[in-house]
Amino acid sequence: MDLLAQVLINGMLLGGLYAVMALGLALVWGVLNIVNLAHGAFIMLGGYVSWYLYTYAGIDPFLGLPLTAVVMFAVGYGVQRGLLNLIVRAPMFNTLLVTFGIDVVITYLAQLAFSADFRTINPSSAGNSIAFGAVVLPVSRLFAFGIAIVLTVGMWLFLLRTRLGRAIRATAQNLVAARLYGVDPRHLYAMTFGIGVALAGAAGGLYGTVSQINPYIGAALTAKCFAISIIGGLDNPLGVIVGGLFLGVLESLTALYIGSTFSDVASFGVLVLVLIVRPNGLLGKAA
Amino acid sequence: MKLDSAAKAVPLLDVRGVSAGYGGMPVLQDIALKIYPAEVVALVGSNGAGKTTLLRALSRVLPCHGSLFLNSRDLLPMTSDGAFRAGLVQVPEGRQLFDRMSVRDNLLMGAFVRADKSAVRRDLDRMYSLFPRLAERRRQLAGSLSGGEQQMCAMARGLMAAPTLLMIDEMSLGLAPVVVELLIDALVAIRTEGVTVLLVEQDVNLALSVANRGYVMETGRIVRSGSDKQLIDDPEVRRAYLGL
Repeated sequence: MDLLAQVLINGMLLGGLYAVMALGLALVWGVLNIVNLAHGAFIMLGGYVSWYLYTYAGIDPFLGLPLTAVVMFAVGYGVQRGLLNLIVRAPMFNTLLVTFGIDVVITYLAQLAFSADFRTINPSSAGNSIAFGAVVLPVSRLFAFGIAIVLTVGMWLFLLRTRLGRAIRATAQNLVAARLYGVDPRHLYAMTFGIGVALAGAAGGLYGTVSQINPYIGAALTAKCFAISIIGGLDNPLGVIVGGLFLGVLESLTALYIGSTFSDVASFGVLVLVLIVRPNGLLGKAA
Repeated sequence: MKLDSAAKAVPLLDVRGVSAGYGGMPVLQDIALKIYPAEVVALVGSNGAGKTTLLRALSRVLPCHGSLFLNSRDLLPMTSDGAFRAGLVQVPEGRQLFDRMSVRDNLLMGAFVRADKSAVRRDLDRMYSLFPRLAERRRQLAGSLSGGEQQMCAMARGLMAAPTLLMIDEMSLGLAPVVVELLIDALVAIRTEGVTVLLVEQDVNLALSVANRGYVMETGRIVRSGSDKQLIDDPEVRRAYLGL
C-alpha cells in the first residue's frame, strides 16, 4: 500500500513536469497550427542554459528559470520571425519538415558546443526530502512540480485575461477579422512561438534538476509532449495538466507492475486509444 | 448635431474619380461620393454592382486611382492598417466573429489597438446599454449566439474601435425580417450617438429606411444619389429595386 502511494506520488510529480514540457508545444500547435518537432530540442537547450547559469554563475536553477525563459524567448521570437513566418500558412507537411530540420541542426550544434556528456543540475537542496509516514517527497521534484503548476495556470490566465492573450486566441480563430482590427500577425506569431520556446526552456531547466540532459534527449521529449497534447486536447492549457498527470502516473504504475521498459508502450498505447475514442482530448468536446 | 444641409459642412469622407479593378479588369469607374459627419449613408445596388469592391478600395485592400480623403487626410498612400488606424473601420460581410471567444472578448478585440484603457472600459459599458441583448450574453461564446445577435456583436465590435467612419457590409444578409427589425433599431440608436455610418446593402428598402441619404450603384458606377425620400420616390429605383 505504501509502495503504491509512493509510486502514485512519484507519478504525479513527474506528471507536473510533463505538463509544463508540453505546454509550449500545445500553445504553438493550437495557435499557429505548427507541430513543432524541435520542441524537445528547445527543452534540451533550456536545460543547458540553466546548467551553465548554475555551474559558471552560481545561479540557483529554480531562481534562474526566469532568466532561462527570457533567453529562450528571444531564440523563439527570432526563429519564428526569421524562418517559420515564411511558411506559417503552408501545408502542415512543410512546417513538419522545417521544424524537423531545426531539431537536427540544434541537436548537432549542441553536441559540438556542449559535448555528448550527460549533465545534471545538482543544487545543494537536491538530496533533501520530506517524509510523510512511509511516503517520501523529494524537495527538488516537489519544487519542479509546484513551478510547473504555477506556469500552466499562469499560462491559462494569460490567454484568458490579458490583451495579448486575447489577441493570440483571436488570431488562432479568425485571422481575417484579427487583421481587420489591427493585429499584426507576423509579430503575434513570433510572440506566440517565443512564449512556447520560453516555456520549453523553463521546462528544460526543471528537467535538468530531476534528470540528466545531453544533446539527444530532444526527440523523445517531443514525442512525449505530442502525446500529452493529444491526450489533454489543445483547447485549454488545463488539459495539458490533465494529460501530463495522467501520463506521469500511468508510466510510474506501468514501471511498477509491468516493467520500466514498457512505460513508453503504455503511454503511446493510451495515445492511440484516445485518438480513437476521444479525438478532441480527454477534456475536449466530444466529437 | 445632425447636419441636414450637407453643403455647409466639410465632408468626413470625400471620394472623387475613383476607379479600380482586378488584374486590369476595370470594376469601379469614376466613383464620387461624400459622407458628412454624423450621417448614415446607404450604398445600395444588386449583387455584383461593385459595392464590396468599393469598400475594399476605401479600406485600402485594393489599389485604386482617384482621390480619397478621410477627415482631410489622404488615404491613397495608406496601407489597410493605416486606414484602420485613421478611423476607417469595417464590419465585414458574414460577421467574422471570434466564435470560440466570449461576447465581451470579441468587443475588446475591436479595441485592440487602443491604448486608452479607461475610455475602452467606458465604451464597453456604452455598448452594453446600446445592445442590451449583448449585455445579457456577455459571457456566452459568440458562436452560440443567434444570427441577429451575432450581427449586433459584430457591429458593437466595430464601434469599440472608436471609428471615424463605420462601414457595415451586408448587415441583413441571411437574417429573418424580424431580426432585421431589431438591427434597424440598433442602427437608429447608433445614429443618435453621432457615429457616421456607411451602410452597404442589397436590401434597398431597409437601407433607405434608416439612412439620411443614399447612393445607388450599378455595374461599377454610381447611377443615382439623393436623400432617402428622393430615392424611394424615384420611379427608376422603385421599378428596379423595390419591385413596385
